[in-house]
Amino acid sequence: MPKTQLQEHIVLRNREIANIADIAVYTQHGGYETARKALTTMSAQAIVDEVKKSGLRGRGGAGFPTGVKWGFVPREIFPKYLIVNADESEPGTFNNHEIIDHNPHQLIEGIIISAFAIGANTAYIYIRGEFAYGARLLEQKIAEARAKGFVGKNVFESGFDIEIYVHRGAGAYICGEETALLESLEGKIGQPRLKPPFPAVAGLYAKPTVVNNVETLTNVPRIIEKGADWYRTFGTERSPGTKAVSISGHVKNPGNYEIPLGITMREFIYDWAGGMRDPNVPLKFIIPGGASSSWLTPEHLDTPLTWDDMAAAGTMLGSGAVVVLDESVSVVKAALRVDEFFKHESCGKCAPCREGTHFLVKVWERIDEGHGRPDDIELLSDVGRQMLGKCFCPLGDSAVSAVNSAVKFFRDEIAAQIK
Amino acid sequence: MPDEVTLTIDGQSVTVPKGTVVVEAARKIENLIPVFCYHPKMAPVGMCRMCLVKVGTPKVDRGTGKVELDTDGKPVIQMMPRLQTACTTPVSEGMVVVTKDAEVEHAQKGVLEALLTSHPLDCPVCDKGGECPLQNLTMGWGPGQSRFDYSDKVHFQKPIPLGDLIYLDRERCILCARCVRFQDEIAGDPVLGFDNRGRSWMIISKSDPAFDSKFSGNTTDICPVGALTSADFRFKARVWELQPVPTVCNHCPVGCNMTFDMRANEIMRVMPRENDAVNEIWICDRGRFAHHFVASPERLTTPLVRKNGKLQEASWEEALDLVARQLDGIRESAGGKAVGGLAGPSLANEDLFAFQRFFRETLGSPNIDCRPGTALDLPLDDFGAEYGLTSGTDLMQLGKGTVVLVFGADPEEEAPVHLLRIRNIAKRGGTLITINGRATKLDRFAEHTLHYRYGAETEVLAAMLKPLYDAVPPEGKRAALRGFGDLRGVLANASAERAVANAGVDGPTLEKINQALASATNLVIFYGQEALRAGTSVTAGLANILTLARKAGAPNSGLVALVPGANARGALDMGVRPDRGPGYSALKQPGMAAHEMFDAARQGRMKALYIAGLDPVQADPTLAEALKKVDLVVVQELFLTATAQLADVVFPVLSVAEREGTFTNAERRVQRFRQARRPVAPQRPDWQILQSLARQLSAEAVIAASANVSDKSRRQARRAEEQARKRTDWSYASPAEILMDIAASVPLYKHISYASLESALGVWGRKPNEAYYFDGTSYENTGGLGKQVPAGAENGGTLSLQPFNVRTFSQPAERPWKLIATPFLYDDSTLLNGSALLNNRKARPVAALNPADADSLGLKDGDVISIASGRGELRLSVQRTRLAPQGVVLVPLHVQGVPLVTVVEAGVTAVAIRRAEG
Repeated sequence: MPKTQLQEHIVLRNREIANIADIAVYTQHGGYETARKALTTMSAQAIVDEVKKSGLRGRGGAGFPTGVKWGFVPREIFPKYLIVNADESEPGTFNNHEIIDHNPHQLIEGIIISAFAIGANTAYIYIRGEFAYGARLLEQKIAEARAKGFVGKNVFESGFDIEIYVHRGAGAYICGEETALLESLEGKIGQPRLKPPFPAVAGLYAKPTVVNNVETLTNVPRIIEKGADWYRTFGTERSPGTKAVSISGHVKNPGNYEIPLGITMREFIYDWAGGMRDPNVPLKFIIPGGASSSWLTPEHLDTPLTWDDMAAAGTMLGSGAVVVLDESVSVVKAALRVDEFFKHESCGKCAPCREGTHFLVKVWERIDEGHGRPDDIELLSDVGRQMLGKCFCPLGDSAVSAVNSAVKFFRDEIAAQIK
Repeated sequence: MPDEVTLTIDGQSVTVPKGTVVVEAARKIENLIPVFCYHPKMAPVGMCRMCLVKVGTPKVDRGTGKVELDTDGKPVIQMMPRLQTACTTPVSEGMVVVTKDAEVEHAQKGVLEALLTSHPLDCPVCDKGGECPLQNLTMGWGPGQSRFDYSDKVHFQKPIPLGDLIYLDRERCILCARCVRFQDEIAGDPVLGFDNRGRSWMIISKSDPAFDSKFSGNTTDICPVGALTSADFRFKARVWELQPVPTVCNHCPVGCNMTFDMRANEIMRVMPRENDAVNEIWICDRGRFAHHFVASPERLTTPLVRKNGKLQEASWEEALDLVARQLDGIRESAGGKAVGGLAGPSLANEDLFAFQRFFRETLGSPNIDCRPGTALDLPLDDFGAEYGLTSGTDLMQLGKGTVVLVFGADPEEEAPVHLLRIRNIAKRGGTLITINGRATKLDRFAEHTLHYRYGAETEVLAAMLKPLYDAVPPEGKRAALRGFGDLRGVLANASAERAVANAGVDGPTLEKINQALASATNLVIFYGQEALRAGTSVTAGLANILTLARKAGAPNSGLVALVPGANARGALDMGVRPDRGPGYSALKQPGMAAHEMFDAARQGRMKALYIAGLDPVQADPTLAEALKKVDLVVVQELFLTATAQLADVVFPVLSVAEREGTFTNAERRVQRFRQARRPVAPQRPDWQILQSLARQLSAEAVIAASANVSDKSRRQARRAEEQARKRTDWSYASPAEILMDIAASVPLYKHISYASLESALGVWGRKPNEAYYFDGTSYENTGGLGKQVPAGAENGGTLSLQPFNVRTFSQPAERPWKLIATPFLYDDSTLLNGSALLNNRKARPVAALNPADADSLGLKDGDVISIASGRGELRLSVQRTRLAPQGVVLVPLHVQGVPLVTVVEAGVTAVAIRRAEG
């Protein structure tokens, strides 16, 4: 049994309420009443303030305070857009997927409230192209909400119009980066934009735009319904709330878990996910926040799962994707696999990433094939240095995480493979 | 100064305007930060990562909001955690930039190593080799050796034609997107783009036909590697073997500054030469690729004289002697008035001045014109000089507060580089207004656009003039405008409503245009061939708008007439026209216009015609009959044109590449071109041929003086004759001396001399090949920037309003369509001879009809129709296009197989259209 209990689910409420994806079930459980309350009795500013007070931080990876982000939107420029980032593409991450498939109405309600809060009458759900089922389902669920008068013109007779469109991506990881997402949504090639201007000032079609992650928005109805103080009873002071975390790899019970922020990695792996798959093969390392995060080793098991603690440990909470790997794994193969992913997804816009990821893969490959050269570890580190912080967007840095982690924690193993 | 910012770069302090990016600030103190994707003419994108530098800013105490000071009292500098791209980082007060240290060097080496990972390093066979920024930056900032020793560089099929003019070598491409951005941001033809991603990311053309832009050649200049090369220059020469010779484009009235890059006496390529006041660093594809007429094997090489009915080669002495004797004889028997002269608008000022001198002074003939004498002749435009853009106006400096009105013009086809410059004014905050009978590309960049019904131009102008007219304050000001009263009656009934009803324009837009005109700080008005052809009331109306807006003679304002020909303005300034002498001086007796000369020829009254640089018979084959009735036809030409074939004597002339001279562009800038090529045959410059003839003939004044002997004493008579001889002396050793004569006789050209045209100070301001463009294409201008002559209205004095009338075209019921002659950049001009590369782009002999109209006539693409006016008929196949307004058939000008002259009438030509049988 888990040591830490979650009093109740905030985003994965489908775990508690059967068929919550059904609008009848959702409304039976108070669904869309929060949106009605927000739109008819609250001011936009009051919603922004409540979300600020809740301390809700973006669930997409960077953990930026959502209310603060909303506050950047200039009031006097129209139209504004709300973009729902449902491009969940980070390897190991599949928590948005569950929300979309099993708790879609809470997401839609979150979109309505958030759009009202920032003054957007149009919201686009940019959904990963591979989520064909989810995209169709969302369209169906939006239609259901529209039939009830929750989406469309003058919703809840509040005078507020909100249109929600589902837009499928075309299979590029980089389109999870918010400016590349906007480019793609505009029909252009999916590549990041130069910042500034930031989307809050000039985003979609150069208009003020907020891009929020699926899970972030799914939190909003509960925050507005039950208040920021209630929300802050979950998690820690600086990382309030819960986080839907996907765990995979060599654990007994892989899957999604909604955890209160602040439990340790050890609790999460051993109490929540049932520990290592084969108790005789010990834990080797953890990729804690998606493929782009730096790795952790058993010595970090007591790191609490919060944004700040993970940063202090040299990595990040990221998108909430813990990949647990045991001693059966070759570090070189793991790093090669990670970097192959980034090479495949490099958009090509800047040279260090376009060529650097390719370079890294070539070197990992030769080490893996037994043709490694004596100075390859230095070479990997140096190419990594040439990329880190020098690429157009963070994708290049992500590819370096695996290199630096592998060299930092497993230099001997790599060296042994080179001989 | 609040608009200036002082920062420190590598310990050196520099002050630059706010908003400057670090790379430009560094350039100011000759600190070269390497770049690939950054280009000073385009918005920065920060893609190539070559310009990474360390940037720090003064640390501000959050509590006090003040800059923290260290123990020495200096600001504490907080360095940013990551290197920043200098091309995208705007400067800020107190900023500290480090461009040279181990960390920056490591980053720059890394970027170059990455770029070279995929690069084929085929410099020995690459056309860019020798002027390649990638080569140069690799030498200066590169790692020297690559650690990437794999043979799996990216491979693409190479090279592929990106269009018919430009080849793309994807292996060499470093994906800086300069070409894509140029097409989007500058050319306004967003026809290039990207496909795929990662290492397979590549440039593609998105248009059909591929790379469909009139500015495509510029991408080869700005490409920092050898990825884009022109079909014209590929594998022609190594760039270090080329000798660039300054020249001026002779294809259109923009007058782009260029160089002929020579090797072994042949033009290897044409490159732009920087002149911010004319073409910045751009040229159009016609200017770049249509130079092959120079080396064409079809060029005339020796004089030809008709013997036994056939043109046969002759010596210069024989041909000159024959012409001189015959002209002398005709003058004696029929008088100078029996001689007519036509000199084209692409000849140099020196030729044109010599030409009018030869006619008026030597032959005593007033009959000269710069037009070919066909039904397509345009009215002689004086407003472009009288109300022309005031001297010192630099379109590149104009932006906010400037209203640019483009009326009856299609700059993309008539003067392509003007399109870029007009668009740039709009981008800098100016207000662009386009008013045309049909959609043009410039509409896309315009704030306000009106499309009038052809024939109702003056209705629109009246509605524009009316509010300006009414706004002129009564006391004093009205009296200061000559002709003010005359306009009252004309404008009495003018109104926006009337223009909406009669010209079919949008009322609210017209309202906004009038507001913009009324509040303009600067007003620049462009007009083109359609405006000129619509009659002088249209151009007079435009001149009146300028005057009533109080912008005539005002700084940064004026008219720009896009009259076809590289030196059309010069031809009018030099007085190559029947009605005015040099400098628009009044004539005692005007001569015949070109078409009158041909009428006289048909009636047997014209004994000799002298035609230089014009081909009337090509434009109107019926003129051949008239020429046959002329005793002596002399032609000065590059080629054996249709007219030359009918001549009695043909003189072969030197092309623009083989001689020197000056052109005056549409903005009245006099610019000098140099001799780039040694003549390969005994051709002569136009002016020299005229001088040779003049020296063999006694001037009319000398003859008159000697004929007066009986009236005066012998001594007096001899002195008069001597004076006349001196006055009419021809002793030009070079065109420079003719220009001195021009300066003496044309007041506007008072300050023009070859020396004054050579000045290149002030604008370039950089050392040759300095790192601005990082040693890529050299736009260096060593040939001078030219000099603008003043507009008439700049003299002060009383301003005149020009006679203006409102005319509404009434369409005869039996001819319900309007025929509009449309100019195309790629037409069948002889200057495109030999430039086969451009053949695919040439205007096709088709009649463009709106699809709705074509449907109403039951016509498909390619159906042959008969187009009949009151004068004649022509047959063409149909092209359905939305570019043709309804009720209008667009027919291309100067295209072979389109005998437009047989049908066109003055103003709008009403035509009947029916399906042609068979």
